[in-house]
Amino acid sequence: MGLEQYAVNTLVELAPVFATFYLVALGHSLFEKAGLLDLAIDGVFFMGSSIAVRAAVASGSPVVGTVVTAIAVMFLGIALAFLMTSLPISHGAIGLSMMFLGYGIGIIVGYPARLEVGSIAMYAYSEGESMAIMAISIAIGVAVHIILKYTKLGASIRACGENPHAAASLGVNVLLTRLIAGAAGFAIMGAGSSFFTLAWQKFWDPKSYTLGYGWLAFTVALTSGRHPMILVPISLIFGGLTFYRVKIGVMYGVEKDVANLVPFIAALIAMLVCYATKLKNILAPPTSLGKVYYREERTV
Amino acid sequence: MSYEYVVLKEISKKFAGGVKALDKVTIEIRTGEVLALLGENGAGKSTLVKILYGVYSADEGTIYINEKRVDISSPAEAIRHGIVMVSQHPQLIDTLSVAENLALGLKAFNAFTSIKKVSKFISEKSGKFGVKIDPWEKVWRLTYTQKQLVEMIRAMLLNARVVLLDEALTYLPLEEKRKFYKFIKEFTAKGGSAVIITHKIPEALEAADRIAILRRGRLVGIIEGGSARIDDVRKMMFGESAAEITYGKLQASQPGEEAVIETQDLWITGDFGENAVRGVSLRVREGEVVGIAGIVGNGQRELTQALAGLRKVSRGRILIGGRDVTNRGVRVVREMGVGYIPDSPLAFGISIDNSMTENIAALYQRKSMLVNWSEVREVASSLIEAYKIMIPDAGSLIKVLSGGNIMKVIVSKEINYCRRALIAHNPTRALDEVSAIMVRKSIKERAISDGVAVLLVSEDLDEIYQVSDSIYVMNSGKLYGPFPPDEAERSNVEHLMVI
Repeated sequence: MGLEQYAVNTLVELAPVFATFYLVALGHSLFEKAGLLDLAIDGVFFMGSSIAVRAAVASGSPVVGTVVTAIAVMFLGIALAFLMTSLPISHGAIGLSMMFLGYGIGIIVGYPARLEVGSIAMYAYSEGESMAIMAISIAIGVAVHIILKYTKLGASIRACGENPHAAASLGVNVLLTRLIAGAAGFAIMGAGSSFFTLAWQKFWDPKSYTLGYGWLAFTVALTSGRHPMILVPISLIFGGLTFYRVKIGVMYGVEKDVANLVPFIAALIAMLVCYATKLKNILAPPTSLGKVYYREERTV
Repeated sequence: MSYEYVVLKEISKKFAGGVKALDKVTIEIRTGEVLALLGENGAGKSTLVKILYGVYSADEGTIYINEKRVDISSPAEAIRHGIVMVSQHPQLIDTLSVAENLALGLKAFNAFTSIKKVSKFISEKSGKFGVKIDPWEKVWRLTYTQKQLVEMIRAMLLNARVVLLDEALTYLPLEEKRKFYKFIKEFTAKGGSAVIITHKIPEALEAADRIAILRRGRLVGIIEGGSARIDDVRKMMFGESAAEITYGKLQASQPGEEAVIETQDLWITGDFGENAVRGVSLRVREGEVVGIAGIVGNGQRELTQALAGLRKVSRGRILIGGRDVTNRGVRVVREMGVGYIPDSPLAFGISIDNSMTENIAALYQRKSMLVNWSEVREVASSLIEAYKIMIPDAGSLIKVLSGGNIMKVIVSKEINYCRRALIAHNPTRALDEVSAIMVRKSIKERAISDGVAVLLVSEDLDEIYQVSDSIYVMNSGKLYGPFPPDEAERSNVEHLMVI
């Protein structure tokens, strides 16, 4: 097998892994760009992967599974954005609550489908569709990048993340803008999480959950500075580390359980590098990320 | 023909904690007029304009525009009615470009309009107003004056009919301030209205057609600008306390020989990776007040933060009482008895979600395992009395206070805390004349009586001249001076600030 063919095969293998991490991290980034802290990510990831299975099994189409998941998760994003903006409550507390809610809903929704069909392989995307999934994912990323960087809506989203009080004073409807960011961000996250079960694993089991991969996507977003284009290589790296972790373990003669830790160790190293070096200035989070936006407070 | 464009009728507002900010205030804003809104700290001036701009909502009362009752629940809605506010602190997003900032409120463009198109529009329009601004420039690169100019352009682009200036001109250099007043006069001559909030009464007398005076949330009177006398206005604002106002130079200190605060070739990086402070060396001796004048954004914030241990120094040294404290952190500096009044009072000066006593305990009892609350309450009571802080009680949450009273809490606890040195950055910002004079006297008193070395950084030249024993000017991260205040011509100092 020539080098070219090897590269193509590797890319086809990695495409669903990449699409999963990339879209979940992209949606999460868009949500956080508006100043909304997303600690619900892992629960949403699991919930999305379960809804995808249920919808695909019910309809017989993985595309329907992805679309239904995007729409269902979008409503959760809208609810989160509304609560975090309208009420003076902690983003952390509400995000974590939603995470556990996501785990619960995920099991309730996914389990009947699992009982019904046993294997979901026949309802999943085929290998031949992998590259199309990857291309669509990148296209969505490019669209998000253009909107964020070059349009008035993008400027409004970034303004809400930097200083929602100043943004409101400049004439931005902070609630509406955050609802848009919440809806779009979570819809993208939903689509990404559907690829986990329908394109990558082609398997769903309530015991394995999603293996903490939601938190890996969180790290991908963090180390990319929530930038849609920087997310591309970082998602590929983390996708590769996750997918080839066992091979990496065999290569270096380490235990399987230790090898499973490779992506998480990489996540820790990435975070340390980001925050202990000058990269922290370039990849800085939005200034008001996670801060309660309460209009009636006094200012000096 | 001027008519009442906006009428605020019987507006009342109470903040959480029972602080009554406004009590049935009725006031009208006429077309073509400049209306000055004056009052002591906590009088309710800012609250009133923020209600009109939709930042706060009134508990009671009605707003009429062109005789129609309106409900203004957000700034976006106020903008729709032609009302735009410009604050003392530019309400712009630093990381966005000028065009992106201005695009946010412009209804002429939809959500997916490209910023390139908006930039073109801004260039054309700002040219018509006789102002040159680069729409692609990031806001953090602009000077304070340029930012305020952007805010004014914004008001014009939004077709404002009423511009609310909440201390927006306070920190502008004199020359720039004159230009802004001229701009406002031209705006009102075309039928627009301007509401100015300022603590500089002479300025209000010069610029305003009418002056409305608020005291403790109530309207105490409206007088015609032309016929108003400064003493009468002060008396209406402060009552008997007006007699305490003086702008004469305070008693000079007799500094010791030893430097308490010393910096040697200090270089500090700013928030965006630029060299914000460039090779600054200065000495503040025991009992001396050293004033640094300068326009905001010239490295003063980074300098004072580094001195307080809040920001890393990239080169050079900081010595406090002869001890090298460079990059040793805020704890070391504070434990040496250094008071710090920050430029961002809410970020570094106080926790507004806690009470006054809790804030005092956190600073004063930092070494104790258990807090001696009776001692803390005693300190709080003495500060409330000495600085006339309007607070329901020492256990009240800070966030229910007015901006001026929050500032008084910060300033009083730091002046009282310092034993060796005080780093004071705009200590009288947001304070009325009586309170500002009182704070300046307290600072001077600590220097003269207790030998505290004071580094006073201020954009208010009156303040610098009144208190300082020695003056520096900071511009583009560099320090010029020292100049003795008696010999330093004000015009020369102003020139150094803007070159």
